[in-house]
Amino acid sequence: MLGMIEWVRLLAGGGLLACGLGIFLIELYGVFHFKYVLNRMHAAAMGDTLGISFSLVGLMIFSGWNFTTLKMGLIVVFLWLASPVSSHLLAKLEVATNERLLENCKAYSNLEKLEKELAGKEEKAEGGKGQ
Amino acid sequence: MYIAMLVILAFMLFACLVRAVKGPRVSDRIVAVNMMGTMVMVMIAALSLLLDEGFLIDICLIYAMVSFLAVIVISKVYIGVYEEERRKQADRASKNEGGVFVGDD
Repeated sequence: MLGMIEWVRLLAGGGLLACGLGIFLIELYGVFHFKYVLNRMHAAAMGDTLGISFSLVGLMIFSGWNFTTLKMGLIVVFLWLASPVSSHLLAKLEVATNERLLENCKAYSNLEKLEKELAGKEEKAEGGKGQ
Repeated sequence: MYIAMLVILAFMLFACLVRAVKGPRVSDRIVAVNMMGTMVMVMIAALSLLLDEGFLIDICLIYAMVSFLAVIVISKVYIGVYEEERRKQADRASKNEGGVFVGDD
């Protein structure tokens, strides 16, 4: 009976650790794939929250029921609080220091323009299909 | 198993370092270093279970706080330095214009 519980622990912990490593891999792919910082930040923030929480929950299952587990949980909660703040500050830094921001990302000051543009694109696509 | 995980994480850490060296802008580099910090935290936690040393988790917690503080301080300082530089340039431009104007008078 004890053997079975050990097996379940091993499988659950190993699966969670593998999920965490997979998410770190996806994060790296995203960071190399996107071309601009504000896009890259989206991929990088994923590892900060989901990747580390998967990995640390896997390690918590291996560690068992003791004080170390509590500290690991504390690390996860701290990163959940800290990561959005640092992402926000980095975005602020990018917007404040990049003089050619609008070349890299489009900003719409009013939404009607965007809607019009999108409607125009749809009409064009439909026209293309019709021809 | 811990060893295999640590090796995979080390390779990913190296890829992050490549990104930090290549990144064209300062914010790219800071994002890459932040990612490296997250991976190092997982490595320290795995190492603490591998070596069976509980105190390494405290180091991991402190590492998280220090890397958060580093990102905050670096971005604040960089914004400050950039604005100072721009103000200096604007001052110089306005002084030059004033000089030309006085000369014409």
